Amino acid sequence: MNKFLLFMIVLAACEAQAKVDLVTLPVRDRVQLTIYNSADLTLVRENRALTLVGGLNKLQFSWANTLIDPTSLEMRPLENAGDIDIMALTYPPRTVNLGLWNIKSARGGKVPVEIDYLTSGLSWRAFYMGTLTEDEKTMRLEGYVRATNNSGEDYADAETRLIVGEINLIDQIRMLAQRQYPYDRPSQYPVSPMVMKGLFAGRAGGKELEVLEEAVAYDSFAAEMPETKEIAKEGLSEYFLYTIPGTETIPNGWSKRLPSFDTNGIPVLNLYKYEEERYGKGVLRFLNFKNDTEHKLGETPIPGGMLKVFRTTDEDGHLAYEGQSDFKYIPVNEDVELNLGYVGDVVVEPKLMDYKTDRFSFDSHGNIDGWDEISTWKVEIKNTRDLPVKVEITRNTGMPNWDIERRDSVGKYEKVDLDSMKFTVEPEPRSNVEFTYVLTKHFGRRAE
Amino acid sequence: MRKCKWWMLVLLAAAAAQVSEARIKLVALPDRGDTVIRLDNPAATLIEEERVLTLQKGVNKVDFAWNGVSLDVDSIRLTVLSHPEQVKLLNVSYPPNEQALVWELASPEALEVKARISYLLNGIDRLITYKAVADKEETQVDLKSHLVLRNFSGEDFTSARVLLNYGEAFEQGIQHEETKQLLFMKQDGIPIEKIWTFDAAKKPWDPEKVSGNVGIPVTYKIKNEKESKLGENSLWDGKVRVYQDDGHEGTIFLGEDNTALVPVGEEMEVYVGDSRDLVITQRKMQEKQINIRRNNSNHIVLYDTDEIITAKIENFKDKPAKLLLIQHIPGQWEMEKCSMEYERKDAGTLEFTVELKPQETRELTMHYHRRNVR
Repeated sequence: MNKFLLFMIVLAACEAQAKVDLVTLPVRDRVQLTIYNSADLTLVRENRALTLVGGLNKLQFSWANTLIDPTSLEMRPLENAGDIDIMALTYPPRTVNLGLWNIKSARGGKVPVEIDYLTSGLSWRAFYMGTLTEDEKTMRLEGYVRATNNSGEDYADAETRLIVGEINLIDQIRMLAQRQYPYDRPSQYPVSPMVMKGLFAGRAGGKELEVLEEAVAYDSFAAEMPETKEIAKEGLSEYFLYTIPGTETIPNGWSKRLPSFDTNGIPVLNLYKYEEERYGKGVLRFLNFKNDTEHKLGETPIPGGMLKVFRTTDEDGHLAYEGQSDFKYIPVNEDVELNLGYVGDVVVEPKLMDYKTDRFSFDSHGNIDGWDEISTWKVEIKNTRDLPVKVEITRNTGMPNWDIERRDSVGKYEKVDLDSMKFTVEPEPRSNVEFTYVLTKHFGRRAE
Repeated sequence: MRKCKWWMLVLLAAAAAQVSEARIKLVALPDRGDTVIRLDNPAATLIEEERVLTLQKGVNKVDFAWNGVSLDVDSIRLTVLSHPEQVKLLNVSYPPNEQALVWELASPEALEVKARISYLLNGIDRLITYKAVADKEETQVDLKSHLVLRNFSGEDFTSARVLLNYGEAFEQGIQHEETKQLLFMKQDGIPIEKIWTFDAAKKPWDPEKVSGNVGIPVTYKIKNEKESKLGENSLWDGKVRVYQDDGHEGTIFLGEDNTALVPVGEEMEVYVGDSRDLVITQRKMQEKQINIRRNNSNHIVLYDTDEIITAKIENFKDKPAKLLLIQHIPGQWEMEKCSMEYERKDAGTLEFTVELKPQETRELTMHYHRRNVR
């Protein structure tokens, strides 16, 4: 059902007794949807052919039961632009969901025009499936997008594009679409929000049957397509534009899943993290790789989404479910750490082996005004898996005045910032490692 | 639906009526003449309308009523345009429980007088909207501005001269409850500057520790000056929607912002959206007390600090970027060493303009002392 209706009223110019013809426009010649995922927003671009008369033309359009933002409507002629003056767009009094374009044309005949507007109700999201090899050294990553149409409008054979990016939006398009008056009223009057009781009212009963019939037609259409579509990706400003080749039909109320990419053999690292202040006493497992060419990726950023990770368990390709991770947008060349949750097969256990205070200083009254606290820590890491793993242990001191003395050279040490440090160890399969360090904290005068 | 039923002008011959009696309205409603809708002040809309009054010799009462219309009563003025030296406005009175007033005009003889009535009318105003379409390289925009007239005043204007604070006045009718969108300004090829901004006081320092991406706000700057093909007039405040040429004969929507009024010579700043391809990781690496001074009880009364802040700035884009990095140091301070040049915007604010090449990572290190901390 096309609820965005356009009628054309052709008025012979400047005559009081205007000859009025009401013309239903031909169907859209072309429609393009650019769907955003950071906001409930879609840019719609339609091409239609108007038949204009020389002189003044009035084009009436209505958008009842849709979620179109009428303030975003724009029309431009695609040919003979110099001869066609789109003078004004009027929202007539005591009408709702209705607009009138005043068009002055120097010539009569068919004119192709483009009509752009923003609508709410279409959305998309990315989601992923990861399949680790048995040795967990590489992963197959499959990306999907799922577009959903709840706009109140059916879009048949639409060129579909998806935008990855965070746009700044002042007003929600849905709110603009549901206003009684497109630009609201001047603020002296209290505005009563209009309840769109009629919105989608036609969906019950017979309408559903109608949608179903369309869906059958769409499925049979899809079955005739032997090729899987590959989404074209390109950067624009701070965003990424995904273009689905050909056209898609997404009836109102339906969603559609499309493959975005499928990359096999991505080298991955099993990274485990321990940080008591942040994660508690458990160990978290991360899958670590980089969005770059070395990892067979890096052509475009990866939009945020949920990744479900499976592992191949045998030669027959049976799978085990490893966990899931909701990750954020990953720029090109950025490191990726996918949090798969807590595990029990890698254990980190810091133990306080010795504690003492020393180097007390006293003020003129004999009170303590400075001292050191010296703690000896042994950190044990158990890798019970039959795979090599990498473990990062972050220790926070809670204060800036400290020194560290390492008692061995196991793993790698790095000062992260003024009150935290990181140790990285890579234990072999089914092995235990440990390292020891002495932390001296300086208090009072000893901190000076 | 409210039907406007106002503007009754009633002329009463001086001798005919007693004011204390029920008011008899003798309707001799002259047609409204030239009407002006003045929209130069965004706070209120001024209406000026001209009418021809047929006055008798003596004192005339002119009744002016505005049922169903909201206007500012104290703003109503009557100006006699023809024979101003002969016709005198004696007083204005307000009948009880009515949206009306009565002017008493004294005329030395029977006269046809042209008069102008002006008042501030509620519920009618204008909005300005902008649509900017950037080129693919984001160096310039084609800017269009629309004037949106909204009339919810209760009054129909079949034709009026609409005046803004600049530009030519134009004839336009507008009905009650009608909204009209008219093209107001169009200028192609206006140069823009694209700026990324990171304010260390507003954004998280360690992006790894937040669940979502830390978006770096991206702003387009348009100078309202002759060199930018503008600079004739102020650019009014309004909503700006920014699109970009997608290189496939279409556009994508980049984002929108509200702009404040931009006087000539000033810059319009439009916050378009957030970049997630610039990543800033800021850390405090050192904070020590030095030059400690104590009182007789050995309590610290005064000290300086020795602080180091580092910021790793990564550009994951395959294009260059200009980042405005804003740092804050409170109180009295002095810089010991800084790895980048900065501009001191005020006592506590430092601005770094960081030019980033494609895929470049740069590091800022600020080593500074806060002095005389108590």
